[in-house]
Amino acid sequence: MTDGRAWQGNWKARLYERVRERGYDSLTAFADARPAVPLAVLAEELGKDDVAGVQLLGGLLAEAEQRKQVTRFVRDVLVRMLSQSVPNGWPAVVDDATRFQIGKALGSWSAYIPDAYQERADQVMASLRTTPPPPGWRPLGPDDALLLTLLPDNEA
Amino acid sequence: MDGVARTLPRLAENTKGLGGTDGVFTPYTDYGAIQVPWLRGTLARATSLADASETIEDPDMRLGILRLTGPRLEAAMSGAMLLATWLDFLRLGEVIRQECPFYGVERLFVDLDRVQKRIEPAMTALASMDPEKVQATATAMPGLMGQLTGEFQSIQEGARLAMERGGRVVAAARFLEMITLVSALNGTLPRPPPAAPVTLSMGLVMGSGGVMMGTRIVVTAEWVERMRKLVQAGVISAPVVSAAVRIHAGQVLMSQAKQDLPKGVREALGDSPEVRAMHETGRAGAGMSSAPKHHVLPQEHREWFEKRGFKGEMDIDQFCVRLEQSHHEAIHGGGDWRLGRTWPREWNQLIMRLLKNSERATGRTLTRNEILKTVAENMKFYGIPMQFISGRKR
Repeated sequence: MTDGRAWQGNWKARLYERVRERGYDSLTAFADARPAVPLAVLAEELGKDDVAGVQLLGGLLAEAEQRKQVTRFVRDVLVRMLSQSVPNGWPAVVDDATRFQIGKALGSWSAYIPDAYQERADQVMASLRTTPPPPGWRPLGPDDALLLTLLPDNEA
Repeated sequence: MDGVARTLPRLAENTKGLGGTDGVFTPYTDYGAIQVPWLRGTLARATSLADASETIEDPDMRLGILRLTGPRLEAAMSGAMLLATWLDFLRLGEVIRQECPFYGVERLFVDLDRVQKRIEPAMTALASMDPEKVQATATAMPGLMGQLTGEFQSIQEGARLAMERGGRVVAAARFLEMITLVSALNGTLPRPPPAAPVTLSMGLVMGSGGVMMGTRIVVTAEWVERMRKLVQAGVISAPVVSAAVRIHAGQVLMSQAKQDLPKGVREALGDSPEVRAMHETGRAGAGMSSAPKHHVLPQEHREWFEKRGFKGEMDIDQFCVRLEQSHHEAIHGGGDWRLGRTWPREWNQLIMRLLKNSERATGRTLTRNEILKTVAENMKFYGIPMQFISGRKR
């Protein structure tokens, strides 16, 4: 339960302090060590009441920009959104409830990634709809084979 | 809640037929009657919110919506009590007019006017639904009821004296008996000197769970449990509940315990330090603080939400939160919060894009509960406290 404490004080400093306390020198290293774990869970690990998921997400994006790995970041976010919404992998039978779970994961993903990726996100969503992945598909990280074909790196 | 709801029609019915035929007292009976609709509406709204909250999966969101019923419940509890009291005065007036011609009509008129002036500010505050005003009024109810009890007694005593002076001693005694029988308020009346049996008929706050015996109240375990849950969930506050209990327990308990209930009862009601602390926090987020209110579901998209079931008691005005300026800037993208240059996503833009994209990806319109579930997740993600306060403009 959050009570607004996440935005009190110098939260950026707090974010990095917590990551360093756990032995990592970057948010990316911390997140990479926990592949396919939902961002909300990661934020909770860093500070149950005073770290918000969106702060971590913003920080990860900033680091990805510096490393020129934004596409990898975009895939990583999708992996984490899917693991939150459909933890058991892509459903064999898509009923009304699971259709919403998948829709929510994809909708959230496309809303949280940078504007520059909107068009590619739309294509990914369209191709997942026309050619659904095999039942049980559960990407375990940004380098999942299917994800790489859907959203290959194109950074210089 | 049920208790009050059941009592309302009876109260409404009782406002009719009072005031005699000449219409002198009609303004007073009208004053009672006009309270019924808002009380009924308040209860209906509280009930529909409570029902809606039960269908929601996310526990924080469910509690957030349930808490919205708090001020309404508190207002309805106290308002119904005041209305019942007012009706008692009307009944008293009625009996005096019929049985006690020695007590002048003008005098009675003035008496009732004075009583109404005492009741009115509290009633207005309750009807305003302003959480702060409701809380203050509900907590101050025992004091007000004490004053009203005094008024009731002095009018009653005045009428008795007038009758005795008129040489109607036997009639005066019968008259007193009648008063005690018609009054729904006897719970708060101290024993009158000629000890007439005091019967209690008030089922307002207690509902079916509370049982009155003689002048003492027996609060059942079931009722305490129900209230305890509400208090612990932060829906209603312990002071308000104890105010209600004190009133119902009558003068005896009030004078013994001054302003506070015995410790055992307080604890039974869930008024432990932890709960108080939680309530304080809840209060800061739930509308007692002065930080500005903000719509969680963007107002520019009111229509979009209406089409998805955010109407009436569940319209987007219900979903407001209080945010400090810095916090507000943070989630709306101001200040220096941006970690990445390509991160323009302030809350309103984010949530609308997210909901619309989710709808597109799902291939159909989202239901109200699906939207609430999604919003709850993202509020947590943004560190927005799930402490809703109604932002309806009056």
